[in-house]
Amino acid sequence: MAGACKVFATERLSAFVDGELSANETAAVRAHAATCEHCTTAIADLRALVVNASALGEPEPPPTLWASIEGALDRAPRWSWLSIGNWRPFSVGALAGAAAVALLMFALPALHRSGSRLPAAPPGAEAVATASTAIDPLLNEAEAEFAEAAAAYERSIAKLRALLEREEARWSPHERSRMAERLARLDDSIARSRELARRTPGDSAGNEQLFAAYQQKIAFLAAAVHRGGEAGEWDKLGAHGR
Amino acid sequence: MDNASAAMPVKPPTTPMLGATAQLTAVDGLRLGPRAATEANAKVHAPDNDAALVDAIRRGDAGSREALYHRFKRRVYALAVRIVGSVDAEEVAQEAFIRIFRGLTKFRGDSALATWIYRLAVNAALSHRSRRASAAQPEADEVVEAHASAEPAHGDAVLRARLERALARLPVGYRTVIVLHDVEGLEHEEVAQILGCHVGTSKSQLHKARARLREMLAADGITAATLENA
Repeated sequence: MAGACKVFATERLSAFVDGELSANETAAVRAHAATCEHCTTAIADLRALVVNASALGEPEPPPTLWASIEGALDRAPRWSWLSIGNWRPFSVGALAGAAAVALLMFALPALHRSGSRLPAAPPGAEAVATASTAIDPLLNEAEAEFAEAAAAYERSIAKLRALLEREEARWSPHERSRMAERLARLDDSIARSRELARRTPGDSAGNEQLFAAYQQKIAFLAAAVHRGGEAGEWDKLGAHGR
Repeated sequence: MDNASAAMPVKPPTTPMLGATAQLTAVDGLRLGPRAATEANAKVHAPDNDAALVDAIRRGDAGSREALYHRFKRRVYALAVRIVGSVDAEEVAQEAFIRIFRGLTKFRGDSALATWIYRLAVNAALSHRSRRASAAQPEADEVVEAHASAEPAHGDAVLRARLERALARLPVGYRTVIVLHDVEGLEHEEVAQILGCHVGTSKSQLHKARARLREMLAADGITAATLENA
């Protein structure tokens, strides 16, 4: 920076850069800047600052953010729709929708009773997406691979949790509480993503989101294990393991 | 001089240096910045018009809810990162969107949807900071780290990271106004609505914030010449 100049404060020069000064003030700043290195430099700095600030990037939110928002919204009080403000007379569309739901509720069990050709769910299938509705053998195979990958993620998480438990004893109650809070959020994301994957068997998008959620938790735990040796250091980590 | 600035009538900026402001484009009947125009390409099929989108969400259309999320997710998350730091940004963004969706029944359209969403996001971030007041505040390094993966469109990533670091060291009031105006490209009228202050206050806070930021950058050896060569 050039030597200090008391004629115009930097704030005023910033207003000049934004074109907020009156015509007289603008002319005064221009005339002064023509002979003042300090103010010329300040104006150039401010302009460069504004241009570069407008070009700063926006970080992409973690892929599990939407799942956690949906989860929180779904946990809202179930009876809130009964409030007077939300009350609407039934429309024809709503009645038609209700009728369709009722039809499915009664018709589907009847189909199963009459010997539907849909295969029975495999025992103990707690996998990512249910293979029970899969008819295509390729789909079955893909779902089995998804389930295997999910199990591998779970094993990695269990190992990291075991490693971290040794460190946790050294943390303050506040640090332990913060860690529990973060892990609960990550678990919530995993649960939501698993549910999404279960609802859309054969759709890889649901499983990709689930794996992203697992990876997020693994990265967070791995970083916590790595840095957690110094009590409290983990608290400086991002919730998604940055 | 600040008092004179605060008392001045509101005029639209005329200098071409205000890159983001000058590039404002009309999308869906709203004046939105270039980032908003990009995000308007929501992944989920839903009404393009904000009013129709809000109506669809009120009727319980889950697809429209998700479309609104995709339309605003980057702006809300980036705002959260810059106000509270990367550690708590996800939590704040989640809280902001929950407030947005629960509050949509009360949204009367007195302000633009984007402005209203920004207000809820800023409130969520500032109340989060208040709740965490006793804990350590976010460190500049976290913010820089958060942006390491967000590759800037052009220029030197290291210099941008240093700009982020300086931004993160600003007092939160200055930081909020500079993020809304210079980074997000909002007009002073919108910033004033979001922060619940007068337009003159928004302007004077911005100019003070820039002056402080310039001092910080200069201390870090960054000047116009450095930034222009980035």
